[in-house]
Amino acid sequence: MLRLPELEVVIADSLVAALTRLAEGRHVRALQGGTDLVANLKTGQTKAQTVVALGPLSELHGIDTSGEMVRIGAGERLVDVAQNAELQELFPALTYALARIASPQIRNAGTLGGNLCLDTRCRFINQSDLWREAMGGCLKSHGHECHVIPGGGGCVAALSADSVPVLMVLGAEVEIARLQDGAVLLRRTRVADLYDTDGLRHVRIADGELLTAVLVPKLPEGARAVYRKWAVRQSIDFPLVSTAVRLDLDRDGKLKQGKVAVGVLGPRPRLIPLDRWVGRPIDETLAQQVAAQVFDRCHPLPNVLYDHEYRRERLRVEVLRAIRTWFTPTAAAN
Amino acid sequence: MTAPSPNHAARAATLVTFQLNGEPVTVAAPPHWTLVEVLRYQLNLTGTKQGCDKGDCGACTVRVDGAPVLACMTLAVLVQGRSVETVEGLGVGGEPHPLQRTFAELGAAQCGFCTPGMLMSASAYLDDLATRDAPTVDAVEISAVLGGNLCRCTGYTKIVQAVAVAAREVVERAQTLAEMSNDEAML
Amino acid sequence: MNRPLSSNPTSRDLHRIDVDDSPVDASGVVGSRHGRIDSLELLTGVGKYTDDLTLPRMLHCKILRSPHAHARIVSIDSSAAEGLTGVHAVITGADMPVRYGVIPWTQDEYPLALGKVRYIGDAVAAVAAVSEEVAKAALALIAVKYEVLPAIIDPREALTRKDVLIHEDNKHGNISKQVTLAFGDVDAALAGAELVIESDYEFHGATHGAIEPHCAMGHVDGKGLLTVWSTTQVPHYLLRELGRVLDRPSHSIRVIQPPVGGAFGGKSEPFDLEFCVAKLADLTGRPVKCLYTREEVFFAHRGRHPFSMHYKTGFDREGRIVAVDGKSLLDGGAYSSFGLVTTYYSGQLLGSPYVFPAYRFDSTRVYTNKPCCGPKRGHGSVQPRFAIEVQLDKAATVLGIDPIELRRRNFIGENSQTIGGFHVGSSGFLQCLSEVERASGWRHKRGNLPKGRGLGIAGSTYISGTNYCIYPTELPQSAVQICLDRSGRVRVFVGTSEIGQGSNTVVATLAADELGVELDDVRVLAADSDLTPVDLGAYSSRGTLMAGNACLAATRELAAKLREVIAKTWDCPPGDVGLAHRKAFRHSDLTVWMPIQEAFILAESQLGTLGAVGSYKTPTENVHGDYRGGTIGASPAYSFTAHVAEVEVDEETGEVTVLSIWCAHDCGLALSPTLVEGQIEGSTYMGAAEALMEHHRVLPSGLRSDGQKRETGPGVDGLLAASSLLDYRMPTSMDVPDLIALIVERPDPRGPRGAKEAGEGPLHSSIPAIANAVYDAVGVRIDDLPITPEKVLAALKRKAEVG
Repeated sequence: MLRLPELEVVIADSLVAALTRLAEGRHVRALQGGTDLVANLKTGQTKAQTVVALGPLSELHGIDTSGEMVRIGAGERLVDVAQNAELQELFPALTYALARIASPQIRNAGTLGGNLCLDTRCRFINQSDLWREAMGGCLKSHGHECHVIPGGGGCVAALSADSVPVLMVLGAEVEIARLQDGAVLLRRTRVADLYDTDGLRHVRIADGELLTAVLVPKLPEGARAVYRKWAVRQSIDFPLVSTAVRLDLDRDGKLKQGKVAVGVLGPRPRLIPLDRWVGRPIDETLAQQVAAQVFDRCHPLPNVLYDHEYRRERLRVEVLRAIRTWFTPTAAAN
Repeated sequence: MTAPSPNHAARAATLVTFQLNGEPVTVAAPPHWTLVEVLRYQLNLTGTKQGCDKGDCGACTVRVDGAPVLACMTLAVLVQGRSVETVEGLGVGGEPHPLQRTFAELGAAQCGFCTPGMLMSASAYLDDLATRDAPTVDAVEISAVLGGNLCRCTGYTKIVQAVAVAAREVVERAQTLAEMSNDEAML
Repeated sequence: MNRPLSSNPTSRDLHRIDVDDSPVDASGVVGSRHGRIDSLELLTGVGKYTDDLTLPRMLHCKILRSPHAHARIVSIDSSAAEGLTGVHAVITGADMPVRYGVIPWTQDEYPLALGKVRYIGDAVAAVAAVSEEVAKAALALIAVKYEVLPAIIDPREALTRKDVLIHEDNKHGNISKQVTLAFGDVDAALAGAELVIESDYEFHGATHGAIEPHCAMGHVDGKGLLTVWSTTQVPHYLLRELGRVLDRPSHSIRVIQPPVGGAFGGKSEPFDLEFCVAKLADLTGRPVKCLYTREEVFFAHRGRHPFSMHYKTGFDREGRIVAVDGKSLLDGGAYSSFGLVTTYYSGQLLGSPYVFPAYRFDSTRVYTNKPCCGPKRGHGSVQPRFAIEVQLDKAATVLGIDPIELRRRNFIGENSQTIGGFHVGSSGFLQCLSEVERASGWRHKRGNLPKGRGLGIAGSTYISGTNYCIYPTELPQSAVQICLDRSGRVRVFVGTSEIGQGSNTVVATLAADELGVELDDVRVLAADSDLTPVDLGAYSSRGTLMAGNACLAATRELAAKLREVIAKTWDCPPGDVGLAHRKAFRHSDLTVWMPIQEAFILAESQLGTLGAVGSYKTPTENVHGDYRGGTIGASPAYSFTAHVAEVEVDEETGEVTVLSIWCAHDCGLALSPTLVEGQIEGSTYMGAAEALMEHHRVLPSGLRSDGQKRETGPGVDGLLAASSLLDYRMPTSMDVPDLIALIVERPDPRGPRGAKEAGEGPLHSSIPAIANAVYDAVGVRIDDLPITPEKVLAALKRKAEVG
């Protein structure tokens, strides 16, 4: 069986201590549930000398729904967020998305922060040492060329986190901690701005920084979001198509504002505003038009293991079906 | 390259104390060892299986603080102070756990290799069921509970049946208790 | 109550099994509801699989594998690895320069590659070290120089390329086996047919996916006895090949097969790791264990051969087949494995359950630079079965005949002969058709389902073991030894391989039934070459029929002895003595009985220790045809199956959801109905998975998304697209349809109590049943497996365009 390489494991006893170690560089990695990092360390695609286990840090825990911005600690387990009754009431699309991540065991260990920081995935990198050696490597491993986009200059491995598209349309922010002069400093950024186009380092979190919480604004009256995931299997799989749609309706049921977020493209998810349809009723025509727009603007790549042209068509259908939930009572909503 | 020390277990091994199947245990775990390695190679609890290397199959499922997790993805040093249950801890006083009984009787275990992990997922479901106000047994829910445990022999039919039969026992017990307390309330 | 007690004074002090005074139940254990006799041991984590075993001072072995699909090995320098602290030995191909292979005529593999590597993953060197981690580190220190050769990935290219030879000494270039057999005048029959259906079919590769990875441990004791524990399903063949390769006489080798965590054909021949642990144990004087990573299991493969098939089937106006002409190209991968047999099976196993008045098949297996294909559940016949069952469905559509009715009209009948000369004894095929027709509600549903829903039917047959052993021999194929003793216990020593299919339970059920004990009273010791007689292994669905018959031979001899002794006591004819459920009783007066333990004691006191051996040899009369190849695929008895699948096709996404599959399977007699159901459900599920999602796929050098063949970067040919259990998508509990197992019993005189196989037959027709249901649902044919959403969507678009 695959074994982990030798590692130093630091169990952080304070946020300051964790941030101090993380500031040493990329060879020190933050560890939450370990469901992504441990697998990547075992296959050798991620190299680290030290992992900093964050489990005990109280700053990363807690779900607070009292304010206008709901605060969810980054260290909250996916299962706890997904099953939180208040969150289910406030953000059913989010809890639904989290409940569709991987498998029960992984949701019992994995955390919300961990999902947001999930490494990008690609069929040329999520392989064994031998496989990557046989291929001659790629931009994300030891090689110099991209096999997804021949001649491509940047890594286009896919962001595959189920939580991201839905948090984007909800207008969520993340809280990021770092140390300055020995004190913990917090900054905030929108989830929509958290990701970069470089698959080698797609999360805009610097060495020495740590994602500590997710903040989600409560939805105004008339607003709702829907998440749609497609994978070959109903469990275990990462998404092959991942999209969230949010529509805010006025009192007449016309579109006030709306947006669609799409994951599993490249390293960066895409956010598509629906401004051009403002004032329109939500019907099949609108659904078809929005879906066509998403199809036009999104080009799934052959980076994950499924026919990318089908993924593009499937994305269109999933957007369509998401919007249909607004006017077709029998369509599955979440 | 740096060669690993031949006796890797000795390298900076950390003493880890945790509850294992209800009893305290202390092991000297190398920091890069996962729980499945400590269970199988140090504690000789080979009931927990490894099937896939990296969290894809569920054969190594154990319960940590009650929740089914993958032992192959859990660093052993991180179970310090926690409670770990493995298939060897199911059943009380030599009596098989109801799930072990129903799996055996209904042919839910063919090769038996995925089964320990399957049992740990299912036992968490049964325990959860027992805490519910008005528990019902639902095959769709059982399938979802077992969604992280691959089985290659059965097509899952008999596994879901075996879990359902054991679950119904839990529900019946709960109903009996409820009736008894109702009776008491009437008195 | 008249209850004569034993008069044997020597047995008085023994603890007795409690036997209650309830009335005698003569029903026996056969056919009763029970699980696996040994499952509780596994369910409690007590049972030890191979990787659960350790021995003192055990070393760990890791195997270095080729990163090239096709290359000459120029040199190997292992000195740095040997110098690493903790490394005890390094071996390469030169240490075991003897070719092996499960089929004696086609041995073309070395335990470690010698001279050449032929696929990415081919074994090159092996290390024994104090830990897995040190062994892995040592692999990185072995310097192998390769001269990279062009690789062949496409089987069609294997046929045409003369400049690239995967096995230079093969007489037929890259052709591993070619078989053409013709029966009757096929061309004339096709010319005169009312309807000819002619189609191409692609059957993709699939792998076994047993959850337990391959593992082996070797140990040489002070007296030179080599013991190998292995996850094998063919311990006897393993022992033979270990002897040949290591040049050891059989008696100095002991092969033990602990419980196996699933096999499905994926462990049915020797593998590199078994030779390596044996050799390394010999060299180091210490026990050595090797456990595959999951990726290595994908390399080991021996899975379902990809088939490219072209079928022409002629029908008369009533839908009766007049001729079948099938041509198949089998993608064999790097080595022969069972390929010779696969190539024959691809044609020979199709001759039933339908009458083929004229039949020709032409099958060619080629070598390619990919992991080697071999037998996966339903070896060699699942692929052509898919083709023919879809052909029948197409004919039914054209002719306007109900596809179940069309199959009935073509049924070959019982006690008949296939055109290839195989004797078909019992056949419950018509009952299977009726059962799935009834249970699925076929008559009222078919044609009346909502849009996008459909029903499909398919039928099939399979062997209950092969009539001839893999190596020529007059020796029995299976044998058991059975002992009874004063404890009331029955000990069965049997060579069969328990891989989860329940072979231990099958022999225990027969033994318990014949000897009048409960299942719990039977202890089975299996698959230890020092302690158990030879059985050829768990392949070709042979266990129940062959070991069952061997078991019956022994138990009946013992039962006869018991009856005689008891009859003397009761002064009645032996035929009047019954044995069941821990009691010996008089059939003519059920109030007369004694505990079976008393009977054993009585017999032991009179006859001495009670034991018997039994063996099984396959029949020689009326089995197969009398021509070259006419014996391959012939079986003493055949099982029959029918599936109805109900599917829902999402016309917007192309996604196919199988809602339910009904499978009726004629297993002769269900010795253990729960286990038979388990085999039906598991087979049907596995077929459904192959039909819809699984794909063991090897990337050509155009692994680039643009499909461009890439000239640079040697070694990129031949990578597996999916070599983990994440990427190779096997269904989870949330992905399986409702599986409805229906047992049909049509006892066969050649089966033990009439029993036939159940382990592989019920896979076959699930695949074409689903394909046919997709057509019924949305009117498109996907003849190219697997039936993925993009293919369905594309077909729906084409259909819409054509109008």
